[in-house]
Amino acid sequence: MNDRAMNDKNSAGKTWTSASGIPLKPFYREDDVPAQHRERLAAGPGEPPFHRGAYPTGYRTKPWRIFQLSGFGKPEDENARIKFLLEQGETGFIMEHDRNTGDHCYNVDHPEVVARREDVGLTGAVMQSVRDIDICMKDLPIETSYAHAGGAVVQHAPFALAGYWTVAKRRGVALDRLPGTGQSDYFLTYLGCVTKQQVPTDVGLRFNADIMEFCDRHLPRWVPVSIAGYNAADTGLNAYQELGALFANAVEYLDEIQRRGTMPIERAARGCGGVSFRMSMDLFEEASKLRAARLMWQQLLAERYAITDAKVANLRIHCVTAGSRMTYQQPLNNIVRGTVMALAGVLGGVQSLGVSGYDEALSIPSEHAHQMSVRIQQILQEETNVTAVTDPLGGSWYVEALTAELVEKAWGFFEEIQAQGGFLASLDSGWLHEKAAENQHREFMAQETGEQVIVGVTAHTDDASPYEVDGFMGVDDAFDVALERLEEGRRTRHEAGAADALRQLERVCRSSDNIMPAMMDALEAEVTLGEIGDVWRDVFGDWATPIQT
Amino acid sequence: MSGKRILMAKTGLDGHWRGPTIVARALRDAGFEVIMIGMARPEEVVQASIDEDVDLVGLNIGGHVDVAVRAVNALNDERPDLPVFCGGVVPPHAKRRLEALGVEVYPPGSQLPDIVGAARRLTGLD
Repeated sequence: MNDRAMNDKNSAGKTWTSASGIPLKPFYREDDVPAQHRERLAAGPGEPPFHRGAYPTGYRTKPWRIFQLSGFGKPEDENARIKFLLEQGETGFIMEHDRNTGDHCYNVDHPEVVARREDVGLTGAVMQSVRDIDICMKDLPIETSYAHAGGAVVQHAPFALAGYWTVAKRRGVALDRLPGTGQSDYFLTYLGCVTKQQVPTDVGLRFNADIMEFCDRHLPRWVPVSIAGYNAADTGLNAYQELGALFANAVEYLDEIQRRGTMPIERAARGCGGVSFRMSMDLFEEASKLRAARLMWQQLLAERYAITDAKVANLRIHCVTAGSRMTYQQPLNNIVRGTVMALAGVLGGVQSLGVSGYDEALSIPSEHAHQMSVRIQQILQEETNVTAVTDPLGGSWYVEALTAELVEKAWGFFEEIQAQGGFLASLDSGWLHEKAAENQHREFMAQETGEQVIVGVTAHTDDASPYEVDGFMGVDDAFDVALERLEEGRRTRHEAGAADALRQLERVCRSSDNIMPAMMDALEAEVTLGEIGDVWRDVFGDWATPIQT
Repeated sequence: MSGKRILMAKTGLDGHWRGPTIVARALRDAGFEVIMIGMARPEEVVQASIDEDVDLVGLNIGGHVDVAVRAVNALNDERPDLPVFCGGVVPPHAKRRLEALGVEVYPPGSQLPDIVGAARRLTGLD
């Protein structure tokens, strides 16, 4: 092994590592796979410890879901784009709400929003009431198609979910048959895109546990919360930190459910066993990361919660290709990057996949960029034969050694988070932000020294024609229409009913009862997003943000 | 320390802090004093630029160029000699509009030495 260790450096003195800094040998042999991990190799896909895949027949029986983030403008603009994506062959749909209003639970007439009126609708459709959500969902196949209803940010999730479910009820769709997923992601909310105002992390935990309980009782086919390692990684955490932090987050949810004792822990584990990861450019490390993730989930559930049921212990994974790796310069190169990152996810055994638009660094996706994201996935599914064999990298000494190493390092990071007082504490103190910032800085320094090459940006630049596209412009009437609809909604709703529902919501918030039944009543009574946000702000106050954003 | 002070603010409400944080660190490492006020409305940017008596304003743009243009115009009205540069998700059409107002634009992919160099030049150090 020593002879190979010396070869870790080439003649120019370059050190070869994975993106997370794991030293790499020039080639791998059987004895590079730790003995403990070698014992796991006999297990097939669909068998514990699941690193080889969630299901035995893989993509032969269940192709991964083509699941693209989409949303902008007015609800009808978003509805049209979702229909376009479904026509192109997307096999589920995501309803992104406007971030200015949604993430902050502000109506468009809030002074912070009015000051940025042109931003409204650039990051999702403006949806302030159940009427807006109804427009966005017009003629969508909600009974058959798996949907992400929005609510990526914790304080926004109860609104986005209750809104989607209320529209479904009004259309006569039984909630217990409705397929889909929530998100309420801590990494987005408290790490990656820290908002101007947000409920504190312990309140977020209550919201998410309430959503889990509510789904357990009423929406058995719905994934209540989805932890998005993607947001941790695209903020700066490396592959094993992304893994360790994700499971530290899962433990907070499961421990909270255990403390409550209101639902079986197996069902809670099933409920938060649909997660997402980022796929970035280190092909083998990223594929190995997904194998490591399944293995870790199985270990965690067995050791900490004594759960061994295979239906619960096989982690279901959605991946999104790294937005931060999409370049502003020579953006058509991003079609290649999207393909490579998508392939990493496919080789790692995803259940669901989204490919960032090639214009990601310039704007929200144009229709053409969205179409390309779908086509990349269709080409992989239908032309490359990668769907024929499950876990094609299994048994590669390199990939198995890397999988084992990621597992070990990720549990190390998980323990570091526990030593900080747990996942919530590591966010409250800014410790996790520090870790992400360190990596961001290192990454930029590596670009500066030339250790990390970004084609078209730090090398192979093209000053004559650096940009081939101009960025998608969206629509320019989202704010005005949203303001009109807000006023019309207030004028035409049953005011006493709305006021009652809002008072009831506030009472529930001040008690320890589940907030979701009151949220359903509030949405049904056409209470608006901003009014609900005002309840959050009155009752729960604001998170003491540990960083300056 | 260079003795020069830079105000950094975000015009949008999107909360992406990765870019401005990296830039702020590079500027501090280069000897600038950086005052970060985070998400701020145009009038808040202007007020902070006066209160903090800065030599340069850096705007991070995450949304529509019109919002950034309003902030730049407000700064130009109140403090016409104060230079402004900006970064973030600034598509080519937005870049052209900001440059027409005399604002230097550093889109994604810009390298830190170039940004630091611009800060030195704009504050009269070079």
